[in-house]
Amino acid sequence: MLIYFLRRVALTVPTFLALMFLTFVAIRLVPGDPVEVRVGEHGMSPERLALFRHELGLDQPVWKQFLDYVWKLMHGDFGVSLATQQKVLSEFFTLFPATLELASFAMLFAVAVGVPAGAIAAVKRGSLFDQALMTVSLFGYSMPIFWWGLLLIMFVSVRLGLLPVSGRIDLINYYFDQPTGFMTVDALMSGQPGAFTDALRHLVLPAIVLGTVPLGVIARMTRSSMLEVLSEDYVRTARAKGLPPSRVIGVHALRNALLPVVTVIGLSVSGLMAGAVLTETIFSWPGVGKWLIESIGRRDYPALQGGVMLVSAVVISVNLLVDLIYGAIDPRIRHGR
Amino acid sequence: MAADIAAAAEASPPDDSVAEVLAQPSPIAAFWAAFRENKGAVFGLTVFGLVLLLALTANVVAPYSPVEQYREAVRAPPVWEAGGSWRFVLGTDGDGHDMLSRLIYGSRVSLFIGFSVMSVSFVIGAILGLLAAMTGPVVDVAVTRLMDLIMAVPSLVLAILVVAVLGPSLANTIVAVTIVYLPRYVRLVRASALGELNKDYVTAARVAGVGPLRLAWSTVLPNCLAPLIVMAALGVSDAILEAAGLGFLGLGAQPPTPEWGSMLADSREFIRSDPWIVTLPGLAILVTVIAINLAGDGMRDALDPKMRRS
Repeated sequence: MLIYFLRRVALTVPTFLALMFLTFVAIRLVPGDPVEVRVGEHGMSPERLALFRHELGLDQPVWKQFLDYVWKLMHGDFGVSLATQQKVLSEFFTLFPATLELASFAMLFAVAVGVPAGAIAAVKRGSLFDQALMTVSLFGYSMPIFWWGLLLIMFVSVRLGLLPVSGRIDLINYYFDQPTGFMTVDALMSGQPGAFTDALRHLVLPAIVLGTVPLGVIARMTRSSMLEVLSEDYVRTARAKGLPPSRVIGVHALRNALLPVVTVIGLSVSGLMAGAVLTETIFSWPGVGKWLIESIGRRDYPALQGGVMLVSAVVISVNLLVDLIYGAIDPRIRHGR
Repeated sequence: MAADIAAAAEASPPDDSVAEVLAQPSPIAAFWAAFRENKGAVFGLTVFGLVLLLALTANVVAPYSPVEQYREAVRAPPVWEAGGSWRFVLGTDGDGHDMLSRLIYGSRVSLFIGFSVMSVSFVIGAILGLLAAMTGPVVDVAVTRLMDLIMAVPSLVLAILVVAVLGPSLANTIVAVTIVYLPRYVRLVRASALGELNKDYVTAARVAGVGPLRLAWSTVLPNCLAPLIVMAALGVSDAILEAAGLGFLGLGAQPPTPEWGSMLADSREFIRSDPWIVTLPGLAILVTVIAINLAGDGMRDALDPKMRRS
């Protein structure tokens, strides 16, 4: 058990090293001089320019810059954003809770709708509901989510005026400290009447948009996994011994059918991060994804470099965690390697 | 003696029913027979065929040039809205481009991206996958680790990084999306090749003295093709979606290229006033992607019933 854990953890080390190399090389290849970008159009004396380069370490040989980069990353130094002069790491941690909150609610939506719907569709295979859900699921995972977001804003927010267009909370009416960075939690803790509801209202559309693709995948996955399980002997046994259908389906079948679904949920973290870039851009959601896009626009390479590193590190860590949990639950995986 | 046999053969012509049983249907015919059963797949293929036709004949079918600006008719509404006219059937966008023409030419751009990504990653994926499976542990570990790394970076984030390095353009979109989707092909080819390599027919070929290149190309690869083709078909729609996402973020095809995603990039400001500018390009993406997904699912079911999702 311990050996499996250690081996699995050790396997991520080369991945992290390669990731550092990738981001380092990528940013070196970028055309244009980051120093000149930072200086702007006003220009600067050659002496100060040289000093600047020295400060950024750009006058060193490339291999030394890489070692320097790795050394700094090991010590949690992801550089300083050119645009805001803030440390990239602290900027990331300020913004990440917003992305995490959005992604969590999106996944909650996808699971809460997708699992029961997929299970019902499997039980009533071939019914109108089944066909409708499979169509919805097809639309779900074929959806260009940036367009879906625009449509929802257009109809729900602008035409019907039901939900806010952008942001995480109404900043005019509500202002409070954000100790956790999770708007819903902070709103609840602030004790301001209406703040929590307002934060939730801001979450609805972005969560639906980000949750649409996972919803399609999860509904379909639950359905097919449930169909497989329903023909198993133990389900027949449960039926034969006279258990009520709700118990057979809800307990005996669904619990076993959920295993592959949980895998899909674990694997969709990467997809959620990618989707968050688009969703946050559409809804002006101040998270990591929007920050990455803005960093490109500002040619803020330290932020981009650090951001890509950190987002990928999150994904690698979650995948590792999923693997470890699996190893703990299912001995076949542990011994399979 | 020989004459006797010839005479006997002449006397009793071959039995048609036996010949029918013995003649196996060609794989393509068998595939088509299974594919045709699936109504959704046929529908998807038909819609996709129409989009492909539009793309191929865009210069004939489109009423205007996709980049021509009609300054006097900026944001003209489509024909069914008040103030719309048949001159611009689907209206014009914020720069006075004819929407219909841009959508038609857009199919060209999107399908071009989709097929380029698919064919490049198909070829490179097959080569890398076979290399990893057949040349020994060093190459295998190197290739597998590299693909793991690519998979660890969220697709769009990786594409953003590539575009940040290379600069935003149509060609670089293809490069970025290809890099994002390459690992899937490599892993699939590697896994199925590893499975095939243990089988007797490969050993037989080896014993018969078949060289490594020939073994890879004409013995192993053909037997890995079925899942690869399905993945390639579904990969076209993924590539189109990914490229449209990049276009939407302003990191893909640059204006005035009529790319569906980039047509939506500046459309946010028209949400209140001119909804068709927002609605139509996304609808084009959705319809195309759904059509390809339907057809791809049908292909999977027809090629191998075991691979069915449900």
